[in-house]
Amino acid sequence: MKENENLLKLDDIHVHYGGVKALDGATVYLNDGEILALMGPNGAGKSTILKALFGIAPVTKGEIYYYGEKIYPVPHEIVERGISFVPQGRQIFKSLTVLENLEMGGFSINSRAVLKSNIETVLDLFPDLRKKLKVPAKNLSGGQQQMVAIARGLVTTPKVLLLDEPSLGLAPKVVKEVFAKIKEINQKHGTSIMIVEHNLQSVLEIVDRAYLLDKGQVVANDTPQHIISSGLLEKVFLAHK
Amino acid sequence: MNSIIPQLIVNSIIAGSIYSLVALGFNLIFGTTKFFNINHGVISTIAGYTVFALSKTYGMDVWLSIIIAIIFAGFVGYLSEKFVFLQMRKKRASGMVMLVGSLGLFTALQAIIAIIFTSQFQTISTDVGESKVYNILGGIITQTQLIILAAAISITVTLALTMKFTKFGKAVKAISDDVEVAKIVGINANKIIARVFFIGSMIAGVAGIAIGFDTGIEPTMGMNLLLKGVIASIIGGVGNVYGGVLGAFFLGFVENFGIWKISGEWKDAIAFGVLILFLIFRPGGIMGKK
Repeated sequence: MKENENLLKLDDIHVHYGGVKALDGATVYLNDGEILALMGPNGAGKSTILKALFGIAPVTKGEIYYYGEKIYPVPHEIVERGISFVPQGRQIFKSLTVLENLEMGGFSINSRAVLKSNIETVLDLFPDLRKKLKVPAKNLSGGQQQMVAIARGLVTTPKVLLLDEPSLGLAPKVVKEVFAKIKEINQKHGTSIMIVEHNLQSVLEIVDRAYLLDKGQVVANDTPQHIISSGLLEKVFLAHK
Repeated sequence: MNSIIPQLIVNSIIAGSIYSLVALGFNLIFGTTKFFNINHGVISTIAGYTVFALSKTYGMDVWLSIIIAIIFAGFVGYLSEKFVFLQMRKKRASGMVMLVGSLGLFTALQAIIAIIFTSQFQTISTDVGESKVYNILGGIITQTQLIILAAAISITVTLALTMKFTKFGKAVKAISDDVEVAKIVGINANKIIARVFFIGSMIAGVAGIAIGFDTGIEPTMGMNLLLKGVIASIIGGVGNVYGGVLGAFFLGFVENFGIWKISGEWKDAIAFGVLILFLIFRPGGIMGKK
């Protein structure tokens, strides 16, 4: 990666669902080692940015660069490049055990020894899961399922972790734990994190930079402090009330 | 004990073995792709006719023709996924459109078989245990039927072990749970589904060959075999690989004991009667949700 080059850049992305513009020329970049928040009201296009990167949203125009190289969004190829996605809503594999969920997170890893070692590293981050490895994932609490989903996203030791609403539907105490883990992942492993979140108070405490989106366009790109002091948050959110 | 009961038990087990093979492949594909693959039936027919053509027409060794036929059935299933069903999924076709597409493919392939081999009923002349007959507790079983039973057991066990312990098996379950999330975690879902079609179609091929040796072959045999496999799947629990096997043996016993005192022509009426009862009172099947 060249100096001053972004780790990941989505450039002028347009996504249309039928006649609805979910993204209308949004440009978003992520720097090496930072935690970045994507904020905005419902329908602003936050989750669509993550989906566009993974090839699960219909991109009609725009380009994606990783380490300065243009890439094409094919999910398994994106994972092999070192980008992981933890989708919204604690989407774990319910018919599999916790361990099997983690193994599936490392599907692209061909060496059994590497997979085992990576799972061990992930379990060091989430020690509570160690006791539940043989438990069917569907039997876990909501908070534990979210931990499994995040842990599964880390098995490949990704360079970039994309998190879509990780606090959704969780109790306030669990939300705090989840955000503490996200910060820990970033600090211990240097993982760059892009996070879509409604819980502004919690997310702004841990991020280095944030984008504010509205109607599929970026309306602000700044530090959390500046975005808060600018009054843009209230303006955008109140316009949707 | 009534002297006919051991024979009814033997007949039930053999019927159950054949139905379980169809249900295994059908459930494997349905569980992964969530669409009702009618084409699965004609794959059995193709395998039966491949053995017939290679062994009877070209005089090839029967065991060698069986192996070639099973692999060929797998390839036909693989190609149908690659060039028809995958293309339809890419266009986000609904389950109903996929079903109609598979019916179209089924009909086309069945017609081609009838054109090549005529619509006449054929027997596969064979030396696969044709001459040997065993008496088990008063029930007569041929060596061919014993081979069918052994094949059904070994395929079921192998598939169960594959699903439980291999990376492929776990990926199949993951795709079955949620194909979009499976893609997101890095599973090449299309590649896994193509393999599922290959394996499921090979198993359907074994069923077709088993029927061919047990009774004989005709171009339309696939639909009847498919329907029995589907009934077995519904009884056991659609998409549940083990449920399908349970349902297959349940169906085999109900069919054969159902015609104990009445004409054998009632067999299908009994099978579909049981299907309707399950659809009304336990639509999720024995191993599914109530």
